[in-house]
Amino acid sequence: MSELKQHDVSLTVNGKAETISVAPRASLADALRDTLGLTGTHIGCEHGVCGACTVLLDGKPVRSCLLFAVQAEGAVITTIEGIGDAQSPHPLQRAFNECHGLHCGFCTPGMIVTLSAFLKEHPQPTSDDVREAISGNLCMCTGYQNIVRSALRAAELIEGAKS
Amino acid sequence: MKLEFLAPQTLQDAVTMAKARGGAARFIAGGTDLIIQARKSGAWPEAVINLQQIPGFGEIKGTGPNFSLGSLVTHRQIEREIRFAGALEALRESACVIGGHQVRNVATVGGNLCNASPAADMVPILLCLNAEVALAGSEGRRVVPLANFIEGPRKTVRASDEVMTEIAFAAPAQKFSSTFLKGGRRRAMEISIVAMAGVVSASPDGKMTDVRLAMGAAGPKAIRLTEAEKFLEGKVLSKDVLEETGMLAAAAASPIDDVRASASFRRHLAGVYARRVVELSWNRISELNDDRSAA
Repeated sequence: MSELKQHDVSLTVNGKAETISVAPRASLADALRDTLGLTGTHIGCEHGVCGACTVLLDGKPVRSCLLFAVQAEGAVITTIEGIGDAQSPHPLQRAFNECHGLHCGFCTPGMIVTLSAFLKEHPQPTSDDVREAISGNLCMCTGYQNIVRSALRAAELIEGAKS
Repeated sequence: MKLEFLAPQTLQDAVTMAKARGGAARFIAGGTDLIIQARKSGAWPEAVINLQQIPGFGEIKGTGPNFSLGSLVTHRQIEREIRFAGALEALRESACVIGGHQVRNVATVGGNLCNASPAADMVPILLCLNAEVALAGSEGRRVVPLANFIEGPRKTVRASDEVMTEIAFAAPAQKFSSTFLKGGRRRAMEISIVAMAGVVSASPDGKMTDVRLAMGAAGPKAIRLTEAEKFLEGKVLSKDVLEETGMLAAAAASPIDDVRASASFRRHLAGVYARRVVELSWNRISELNDDRSAA
């Protein structure tokens, strides 16, 4: 077998400039998890259906399993680790906790990353808006009721923090 | 397995790289089709040539009646395009049902057309708008009507070293509106069972004219419903006219049985959606004009 040619990719991940060396076939999801150790990005279906691997690319939610890492040259990436942590959780993370928006937690990073971009554009969403926003994310245990409730609660928390 | 990843900065370089590799290289834009296909089949190309760093193909241009979509325009851009709100709404309606948000944020209109799925949702409305696609390759530049560009399932006239650069179309001259409807089992993340687009114009004496209908996912490629279009010319909307439209649409369908729907259900839906698209488009013409007079 011939030597794999590695590519150097420079990108910003969660506010930090990184240069990583990746195989040309590596997905962005694999690079984030295996090369940078950011295992909060989950790999579910690997064919663009489940949304567990959602990250923000230049502020927009994308499926990191459907992008080659090399395509992210120069991009600004935000993963769930960059959304918030236990010390300073994002209002969505607080709301998912408060409203029981997760059970096994596998889909949660993708849900929260997707919703973080959505709430920026729709600060006062209806539950129908939220359902449409997470139409590309699948949950197979909690069900969507509490996820929708969590998103609406997060919108309140964000609104409350402003006033 | 080796995969060569190339990132040309100019169109010329992209074409030269593809030419040098014969048919062994694939162009990649959003990548949302190519990566899934390669992973599923195991048939990876020897090289992928990334088009995303080439400037100039990511814009929607024009203020009407002529418009052009750069081939790297994403579905997100189309679904949010204010110039398409109103009479050209079907473009936004088509774009906003493709994949999920995460796919639409990267998947491109050029990719949707070059991938040539019989269920590609951008195709029917672009057929209605008589869109033409521009291709640039080692033999030079050419413009091909979209109707001739797609030959069959996953098959186009594009040579392996040709890059699609833009998609151009003109809005109809008279008062018109457009509609896109898609049949699926759920509203999001669905591959169409039947997709139907229509563009209907109104003549000064209040009759339907220049009616254009196109249907996807009900045959090996999306097609214009020429029989139904001819029938509708000069007609006034009525229950009988819609009934006949539906029958002509169903007769034009050549669907397959698959996991998503039976052929007979697809044919049934073709009729239903043709009727709905014509009726909705017609009603939208007056709504659009009422809005204008109210404003």
